[in-house]
Amino acid sequence: MKKMYAWLLGSFLCVASYAQENFPSVSVKTLGGQSVDFSKLVSGSGDTAVVVSFWATWCVPCVTELDNINDVFADWQKEKPFKLLAISIDDARTSQRVKTFVKGKGWGFDVLTDVNNDLKRALNINDVPHVLIIKNNKVVYQHTGYVAGNEDELFTKIKTL
Amino acid sequence: MKKALFTLGLGLGASVAQAQLEQLAQGHLSGSFDSYTQYYRKDDKILAVPPQDKIGSNNFFKLDYTYKQFSAGIQYEAYLPAVQGFPFLGTKQGRNEGKLVNRYFRYSGDKVSLQVGDFYEQFGSGLVFRSWENRQIGINNALEGVNVQIQPTDFLKLKVVYGRPREYFDYADATVRGADADINLSRMFVKRPTAVNVTGGLSYVSRYQEYTGADDKFPATVNAYAARLAIEGANASLGVEYVHKGQDPHVANVFSDDNGKALLINGAYTAGKFGVNLTYRGISNMDWRSDRNAEGTVLPMNYVPALTKQHDYLTTNIYVYNAQVAGETGGQLDVFVNLGSSKLSVNYSQYNALKTPGSIFSPDSSFFKDGSIEWKKKWNSKWQSILSYHYVFYNKHVIEGGNDKSITSHIGLANILYKYAPRKSARLELQHLYTKEDRGNWAAAVTEFTFAPMLSVYASDLYNYGTTKVHYYNIGGSIMKDATRFSLAYGRQRAGLFCVGGVCRYVPAASGLTATLTITFNN
Repeated sequence: MKKMYAWLLGSFLCVASYAQENFPSVSVKTLGGQSVDFSKLVSGSGDTAVVVSFWATWCVPCVTELDNINDVFADWQKEKPFKLLAISIDDARTSQRVKTFVKGKGWGFDVLTDVNNDLKRALNINDVPHVLIIKNNKVVYQHTGYVAGNEDELFTKIKTL
Repeated sequence: MKKALFTLGLGLGASVAQAQLEQLAQGHLSGSFDSYTQYYRKDDKILAVPPQDKIGSNNFFKLDYTYKQFSAGIQYEAYLPAVQGFPFLGTKQGRNEGKLVNRYFRYSGDKVSLQVGDFYEQFGSGLVFRSWENRQIGINNALEGVNVQIQPTDFLKLKVVYGRPREYFDYADATVRGADADINLSRMFVKRPTAVNVTGGLSYVSRYQEYTGADDKFPATVNAYAARLAIEGANASLGVEYVHKGQDPHVANVFSDDNGKALLINGAYTAGKFGVNLTYRGISNMDWRSDRNAEGTVLPMNYVPALTKQHDYLTTNIYVYNAQVAGETGGQLDVFVNLGSSKLSVNYSQYNALKTPGSIFSPDSSFFKDGSIEWKKKWNSKWQSILSYHYVFYNKHVIEGGNDKSITSHIGLANILYKYAPRKSARLELQHLYTKEDRGNWAAAVTEFTFAPMLSVYASDLYNYGTTKVHYYNIGGSIMKDATRFSLAYGRQRAGLFCVGGVCRYVPAASGLTATLTITFNN
């Protein structure tokens, strides 16, 4: 009987320590068409900062921001490695263009799609562009809107983490 | 020994309870507040007539909490009253009202997820079913009911939805039932990773609305079916989706007895720094709603966006296409080229009427044509430019209704960005639309100054010098701090179709002050 209690407690502890994924379990798609769970994607990066950037192919400031980040992305990675997930909120109207659009842009970071805006809704994003920095399962910085120079602010923040 | 074990057990239990409480505080809390307020003034020059109390204000408050596999949330909306042109129920127009409209509880495990309350869902591309929200155009057809998703094996995902659609602050008198299967055929037949990924899907959606009229053959239940297949390789992909909808006589299709059908084909190819995308879509009688008396943007069951380039400039937004759900056939071609410091994109789309109703491959006269070429160049760390040219053919008679003639127009625009200091930039946009028809030529200029990370101010003017000699001027600015953005604008708003994601609503001419506030938080 006691053994069973101990076993139950043990498994309870396991469950408690296993469930570290605080973010809502929402599936987004890779450009290859595979579904991935956002909460697992974020929790899997451990101590490395994850920059999540919500954008759309039709949003001029979003594209400008990502273009500008892409220009310095390799240099930044050498200075302070971080992960960048560019989440496209393009819906059925424009989502088919995302893959070819990204290819035409030559972006060197991960691009994912959120076609029915499930993740956008779960994280309460109203407007794009919207950037979040997540570290150790916590949102440590967010910024909405883009003006030229915001990317420097973003990297300054990443370096202090 | 037994006592010691028991004490240890108790101690562990207490620490687990403590840990659980601490974790509860560590769950993910997310929320937002979104407010859009307009103060109207009378403006005879653009025929803007303000409402009685000169104000419109749409407000949204949302809160979501996730702890482990459980999530819950609410949404509150207040229209104090709704902004002009917002498709809030006609009877409620002008009334101040707020209500808790959405609430849900969700469990999402690895293989099973269950949501009760208000939810959003989409099958395939949404052509057969989509419940979604767009606050700007006033669409929220969330279903209130149950959404169950099961993943019995790694190649199959099943979704079942059951509920009644939201109609502003009430619910439509209709029941929606649906099921969707998403099948990864590659994984089903080949157990190891493959270079080519093949996925398929089957959907069934049914809507029941009581019918009390005299016609004993009238369909109270309307069923729709869809099948889809997608093949994705490293460099190329092909997707096909077909929808069949049963007889659904309603106001918007003038009580047509015909079945509805839609075919969507998407092809994409990428090579090196080059990408091309080709889309074809033919539709016939695909106006599908959960209320047979609804029109406009009210109570859609499915999502039929205009598959054309989505524009973002003052002049390119004058002649925008609205998908003709009664029947159209056409497509879109997109080409993207990466030339290093410069990027080139070419787009062409064309949609035609159906020669024979129900035959989606029989093109007749044109509804819309849009050809554009855009060149974006980064000259150095200080200068960037975008140059583009657009050709637009617009059948105003069909797209907007009325007796207007078709319009052929040419648009040229330049968007120049100068970063004159590390955090300061200036932007100048110059645009011109040339046409002999409609109201003739338009010219536009936008200038914007930004001071990163917080401030941006702009002034713009859209001038119709063709016939009306009216200036649609605007000045404004916005302050952004973390995830809060506040903006203020003063000026004139052109009457016309206002579209988001290819779905449009008509906006009357307005003049005055607009304030927008958005706040997001995530712990």
